[in-house]
Amino acid sequence: MRHLYDGVPDILAEIETRAPDTSDHLAETARIVDLHHPRRLALTVAEVIVETPTTRTFRLRRADGEDLPPFLAGQYVGVFTDGTSRPLAISSSPARLDHYDLTVRRVPGGRISNHLIDTLAAGDQVTTTGPMGTFHHNPLFHGEDVVFLAGGSGVAPAMSMIRDIVDHGLDRRFHLLYGSRDEQDIIFRDELDRIAAGRPRIRIDHVIGDLLTAGTIRDLAGPLEGRMVYVCGPQALYPYALEQLTALGHARRRVRFEANGAPARPEEQAHWPAGVDPVEEVIVTAGGRSFRSPRGRPLLDALEDHGIRPEAACRSGECSLCRVRVVKGRVHTAEEARLRLSDERFGYTHSCVAYPLTDLDLDL
Amino acid sequence: MSDFDAIVIGAGNAGLSAAATLQRAGARTLLVERHNVPGGCATSFRRGRYEFEVALHQLSGVGLEGQAFSLRGLFDSLGVGDKLEFVQEHDLYRFKVPGQVDVTLPADRAAAIETLEEAFPGNRSRVEKFLDLVSNVTILQIAAMRGTSPEQIDPVLFRYGLRPSKDVLDEHFDDPGLKAALGVYWTYLGQPPSKLAFQDLALTLFAYLEFKPWHIRGGSQAMSTAILDSFLAAGGQVRFNTAVSAILTEGGQVLGVRLDDGAEVIAPDVVSNASLPITYGMLENMDVPAAVRDDLATRRIGVSGFALHMGLDATPAELGFTTSTTFVNLDTDDDRIHASWHSLEPARGVCVSSYDVAPIGFAPAGATHVSLVTLQYAHAWDGVPPSDYHRAKFAYAQTLLDVVEHVAPGIRDAIEEVDVATPRTMARYLGHPGGAIYGYDQDRTEGWLFRDSERRPHVPGLHLAGSWAGMGGFQPTLEAGARVARRLMRRKESVR
Ligand SMILES: Cc1cc2nc3c(=O)[nH]c(=O)nc-3n(C[C@H](O)[C@H](O)[C@H](O)COP(=O)(O)OP(=O)(O)OC[C@H]3O[C@@H](n4cnc5c(N)ncnc54)[C@H](O)[C@@H]3O)c2cc1C
Ligand code: FES
Repeated sequence: MRHLYDGVPDILAEIETRAPDTSDHLAETARIVDLHHPRRLALTVAEVIVETPTTRTFRLRRADGEDLPPFLAGQYVGVFTDGTSRPLAISSSPARLDHYDLTVRRVPGGRISNHLIDTLAAGDQVTTTGPMGTFHHNPLFHGEDVVFLAGGSGVAPAMSMIRDIVDHGLDRRFHLLYGSRDEQDIIFRDELDRIAAGRPRIRIDHVIGDLLTAGTIRDLAGPLEGRMVYVCGPQALYPYALEQLTALGHARRRVRFEANGAPARPEEQAHWPAGVDPVEEVIVTAGGRSFRSPRGRPLLDALEDHGIRPEAACRSGECSLCRVRVVKGRVHTAEEARLRLSDERFGYTHSCVAYPLTDLDLDL
Repeated sequence: MSDFDAIVIGAGNAGLSAAATLQRAGARTLLVERHNVPGGCATSFRRGRYEFEVALHQLSGVGLEGQAFSLRGLFDSLGVGDKLEFVQEHDLYRFKVPGQVDVTLPADRAAAIETLEEAFPGNRSRVEKFLDLVSNVTILQIAAMRGTSPEQIDPVLFRYGLRPSKDVLDEHFDDPGLKAALGVYWTYLGQPPSKLAFQDLALTLFAYLEFKPWHIRGGSQAMSTAILDSFLAAGGQVRFNTAVSAILTEGGQVLGVRLDDGAEVIAPDVVSNASLPITYGMLENMDVPAAVRDDLATRRIGVSGFALHMGLDATPAELGFTTSTTFVNLDTDDDRIHASWHSLEPARGVCVSSYDVAPIGFAPAGATHVSLVTLQYAHAWDGVPPSDYHRAKFAYAQTLLDVVEHVAPGIRDAIEEVDVATPRTMARYLGHPGGAIYGYDQDRTEGWLFRDSERRPHVPGLHLAGSWAGMGGFQPTLEAGARVARRLMRRKESVR
C-alpha cells in the first residue's frame, strides 16, 4: 500500500541517509539513572566523628572516591542495617559530593541508632538508598527568608542547609532556632557559631532545656509572615510546633515538617477502632509465611522481624516504596500515610505506617 | 519446563493491557516491573494534601456511552470497564499566544467551527473543509491499517496522509494564529507540523473531537491499578521492584528472562514494554538480528518532558484556568518552539493541565492540582554536571512559570507544593533512553508504513508492545498491548 502514498521516496531517502545511531543505549541509560538515582549505594565509613557524648557523625564515601549523587540540602538516605533500614538526613554540604555525613544521636531504647553508634567503625561497609525526600528548600515557592525549628538530631538537615548557603554563596536569610536538652547535647555548636559570626543573614539561637513556645519563636525570629518554617526533631515536637505557629497566625502551608517515622501509639489516632487492644497479637500471612505480631507494631517492622524485606525508605508513610496489598483482613492505616486515591479502593496500604487489626493476608 | 506461558516486561499501559489480555485468555503470565507501582507513565504520586497526575493530560478515544470503536470496549475486555469513573472535559483546549490569539475550542465539531469563525472571521468554510479532511484521512487510514484493499480506498488518503501537517495547514489557511490553534496537538506527538505526517495529526484531532477528551477519577493510576487488579484476579503473578536484566535465548529463540536478583524464569514468549534499544540490548546468547540493528540505527530517540507538578491553594477560577487544558505558546512559530526543546533556553510553549475544572479528586476542596509540561530532549541536560543539576532544574522551571503567568497571573503566590521532573527523572522512572515519553521521534519516517517492529520483532518468542514499537500516548499503547497479546494467543493456538 505504501507505494500509493505521495512523498514516500523522499521519506525513504531520508531514512537511507541518516547517520546510524550506534550508541549503547543500555549502558548510557543505566549511567544516567545511576548518576542521580541509584537504587543502592555501596559506601565505606571513612571516619567517625564524635559530636557529643550521645552523637556521632559517620562520614561515608564511595570505595573508589568518586563523587556521590547530587542531593538537595535536607534530603535523606535510607541506611540498611541489621535486617531493617532507617532514613537518615545528610548533614554534610551538597557542595561537597565526595562524601555524605550522617549524624546519628542515640535514641533511648532505640534499636538502630544505638546499633550504629555501638558497632559502626571506620572501614566498615554500609548500603544506602540514593538521596530522597521533599524536605528541602524549594526556590519556586519557599522564598529567600526562612526559619528552621530544630530539636536534637533534627539539626542534621539544618546543618546541611546552612552549609549549602555558605558553600554556594546563596543570598538566603536563614534563622535556626535550635532546642537542646542541655549545653553538652548541642550538635555542631562550634561550626554553627563560627558560621553565624561573620554572616548577618545566618542567625543561630540556642534554646536550652526549654520548649520552643510561640513567645520564644516570636521574640527570636520576629514576624513570620511570608517566611517558610521548617520543623525537624522528635515526634512530640511536631504537634507542639504546629500549635505554636498557628497561635502566631502562621499559615499551615508555610510550615514544612520532615518525615518522622511511624506513630509510636497508633491507638491514639481518632480512627483506631474503639476497644481494640494494640498489644494483642494477630496472625500475619505474607510471602508464603505466617507469624504472630502485636497490632501496635507497624507491618513493615513485623515483616522485617520475620526476615521479609519489602522495599522501604522513609518509613513514615510518604515515599510509598513499602506499598503492599491487603488481600484479607483489616489494617489501621495511620494518618501519616500518603496513599493514592486509588489505593484504598484496591486494598493497598503503606506497610511502614499500617497496623494489623485482624488476621491478615498480604501480597508483597 | 516452562515456569510461565508468557512473561511481560514492564507494567506501562501496553504491558498491563498485554498481561491482562494474556492471563484472561488463559495464558499463565508473569508481569515484571522495575518500579514499585504499576503504570509506567500512567501513574501518580502524593505531595502534602495533593496527589499529582504524572502523565495523563487528556485521554482520547473513550467516547460517549454506547459509541462504537471506543476505548470502552477495550476496557470491558480487560475487565475494568465498570471500575473506572471517567470525567469528561467539555473543551478540547484553550490556546493562547499572548497578544495574538486566545481561543477556547469546544469538544464538539459544530461549536468549534462557530468559535473559530468568531475568533478568525471569514474562515468558516475553510475550517469545515479542513475538519472534513481530518475525518476522512483518519477513517481511511484506519481502514488501510486494517487491510482494506487499496482500490477500495479513496486516494485522498494517499495525497494527504504523509504530507507534512504544515503543508496541509498552509493549504487551507492564511492566518498564522488559526493554523497554530488547529495544529497545537502536535505537541502531544512531539514533532512540529513541518515534520509531522498529516495522518498522525488528523488522527489525534479526530480522536479528541469525535470521542471527546477525558480524565479518570483517581487519575491514570486508578486505571493502571484496575488493570493490574483484573490481571491478578485472573490468576496472574506480578513482581514489582524487579527489573529484567536479560532476555534468555537458545538457538535464536526466546527461552525466558533473568531478573536483577539473578533468578531465571522460563517461558516461551516474552512481551516487552521496555524500549526497543533496551529490549534488544538485553538479548543474551544471540546477536541482534541485522534487520533490527539496521532499522533501529535509523530511528531517533524521542523527546522527553519537563514537568512541574503543582498543588495550588486557590480554585481554578481564582487562578484563571477556565479549561482543563490550556496551551500557551509565546508565538506561532512551531519550528522555533521545537528547536527550543534541544537546549535549556527559556521555555517557549507550555501545556497546562488543570485537574480541578472537572475534578479528578487529587486536590482538596478550594485547591487545585495543575501540571505544566514542556517537551524537551534529554541531551539538553548533557552539559549540566550533576553538582549543578538541581539549580539548573529550578532555574528552568521558573521559565515555565513565566510563560504560564500569561494565563494565570500570580500563580506563584498560590503554590503550596511543587515538584519538578526533568528528562532525567523520566529516564529514572521509565528506564527509557533519553527519558523518551512517546518512544522514537514520531516524524514522517515513523509510523506503520515504514516501521513494523510490532508485527515483526525478528526473534521468535519476542513480542514488542508500547510507545517504542508503535505510536506513543495512552490510547495507542493500551490498544497495542491488547493487540499484541491477542496475536500471541492466536499463534499459540495455531501451534497447538
Ligand atoms: C509528562 C507526560 C505527559 C503525557 N501526556 C500524555 C497525554 O496527555 N495523552 C497521552 O495519550 N499520552 C501522554 N503521555 C505519553 C504516554 O503516557 C506514554 O506514551 C504511554 O503511557 C507509554 O506507554 P507504554 O506502554 O509505552 O509504557 P511506559 O509508560 O513507557 O512504561 C514502560 C514500563 O516498563 C518498565 N520497564 C522498562 N524496562 C524494564 C525492565 N528491564 N524490567 C522491568 N520493567 C521495565 C518501566 O519501569 C515502565 O513502567 C505523556 C507522558 C508524560 C511523561
Ligand atoms: S517506607 Fe516510605 S511510605 Fe513506607
